[in-house]
Amino acid sequence: MPTALVVTEPADPTSPAVLELDGALRAEGFEVELVVPDDLVLSHPHPDLLLISAALGLQRMALVSQRFLVDGRMPTIVAFPDDDLGALEECVRAGFDYVTRPFLPGLLRSRANSCWERWQLSTAVEEMAALASLREYERELRIARDIQAGFLPESLPRLDGWEIAASFRPARQVAGDFYDVFTIVNGRRLALVVADVCDKGVGAALFMALIRTLLRHTAEHTGYVQDVGDDAAASLDRALDGPMGESALPLLSLGAGPLIQAVVGTNRYMARNHLKQAYFATMFFGVLDPCSGDLVYINGGHNPPIVVRADGRQTLLPPTGPAVGILADSSYTLGHVQLGPGDALFAYTDGVVEARNAAHGLFGTPRLQEVLGASGAHAEGLLAAVDGAVRTFVGAAEQSDDITTLALTRNPSRTQRRHSPRNTARNSARNPLPNQAPDPR
Amino acid sequence: MSFTMKMNVEGDTATIRLAGELDGSSAPDLNDLVTQAVGRQVGRLVLLLDELTYMSSAGVRCLVFAHQKLPRGSQITLVGTKPEVAETIRLTGFDRSIVMR
Repeated sequence: MPTALVVTEPADPTSPAVLELDGALRAEGFEVELVVPDDLVLSHPHPDLLLISAALGLQRMALVSQRFLVDGRMPTIVAFPDDDLGALEECVRAGFDYVTRPFLPGLLRSRANSCWERWQLSTAVEEMAALASLREYERELRIARDIQAGFLPESLPRLDGWEIAASFRPARQVAGDFYDVFTIVNGRRLALVVADVCDKGVGAALFMALIRTLLRHTAEHTGYVQDVGDDAAASLDRALDGPMGESALPLLSLGAGPLIQAVVGTNRYMARNHLKQAYFATMFFGVLDPCSGDLVYINGGHNPPIVVRADGRQTLLPPTGPAVGILADSSYTLGHVQLGPGDALFAYTDGVVEARNAAHGLFGTPRLQEVLGASGAHAEGLLAAVDGAVRTFVGAAEQSDDITTLALTRNPSRTQRRHSPRNTARNSARNPLPNQAPDPR
Repeated sequence: MSFTMKMNVEGDTATIRLAGELDGSSAPDLNDLVTQAVGRQVGRLVLLLDELTYMSSAGVRCLVFAHQKLPRGSQITLVGTKPEVAETIRLTGFDRSIVMR
């Protein structure tokens, strides 16, 4: 028995036209099924004859047709008018075959046969369906890109005596890279994040949104190290067992609590809920005390940021733990570096050092260090120098990976000693932390 | 850049030879191959990497993916890993979960 599938407008799935069509098809010996477009998301029927209501509009009709494209072939597809002949005319102009009321069994059979014959010769609908689905896809990606932009800071906090600059250049519409800069502990510390979710494209972008949110939310809502869970406190003890010695604890703890809690908490969340999906993020998360220049950080499996001293020496900040989300039982230690007047910190994602030129060579860390060594102590200047060098190196080759860079520089003068970060309006509004215990110093 | 892979299953061990560059465009193919291997009930995965010249973060994700898909306690062994590739894996800290020879 031949099968017919009737795709109806969801608002009126049993309109008089549909019922009449259904009756006529059955009378002519068809097995008939009525569905709305949403039903086709999960089921994949293979009817001999596909009738689509013109009331769906051209775009949705093309998308429905697209679902039936199997191995380059489709069933015979015919449009029918629900009640709007104008909508039908639009479909016919676009290349759809059609039937109109009255739907009498004999007439319908004859029309279906001639539609089938014509169908064998025509590819218009297939091409149209492909184009419609491409447009739909592009539209969705544009939306995703706009939404992703909302997961990056709109503006960077401003600090007396410091310069901060960041840049984000995705290789595709959406990216797995991100950076973030925000104040914590009631504006007394500055959090800086550069992270790279493994892989590229939409999957990485979804995890970018999750990881950025977990990190920022946790860091903004954690006060002192006493407030955090036992695990994090234990990690801190281990961390400070190292070369810094116990005396460093009171000084660093103000920013260290939020830092550890954010990274350890995000890793735990990812491990508990998303391990199966095998996404992870490498990240550099630093917390700066703008008064002293002390920076505590966790480097979770990330390309080592580079500290360029005022006298030109360079230090790399290698990983202090694994990438976040890669292992269930990761432990992290804290790193510490002090930025003096004229010093700079440059953090970046692997898109910089793994940039390729036309001859397929890698940009590489030595070249990056060379560029940083040759470009003064201004944050914007550093970014521009690196960006320019990467672009020149890559030349006409295609940018293959997301590129994110962040620079923090301390002004050479020593005039600002006890100034707190001055926030942009947006960031202070977002920072509802109440006043807590006084600075342990 | 070109990428090739070839799998050989013997007993409960799947051996996959990779050559060329493992990045975002080749990673899905390797993930499919790993899924096939898991479907054949292997408990050990050996990757021959002496001809693999580059591995991006998408490639490291393949290793994490394999680690998740294989039964608990399965071993993943990397043989002949070039220094640059080994460095990429070490940076992420995932070398703790695999054996590199």
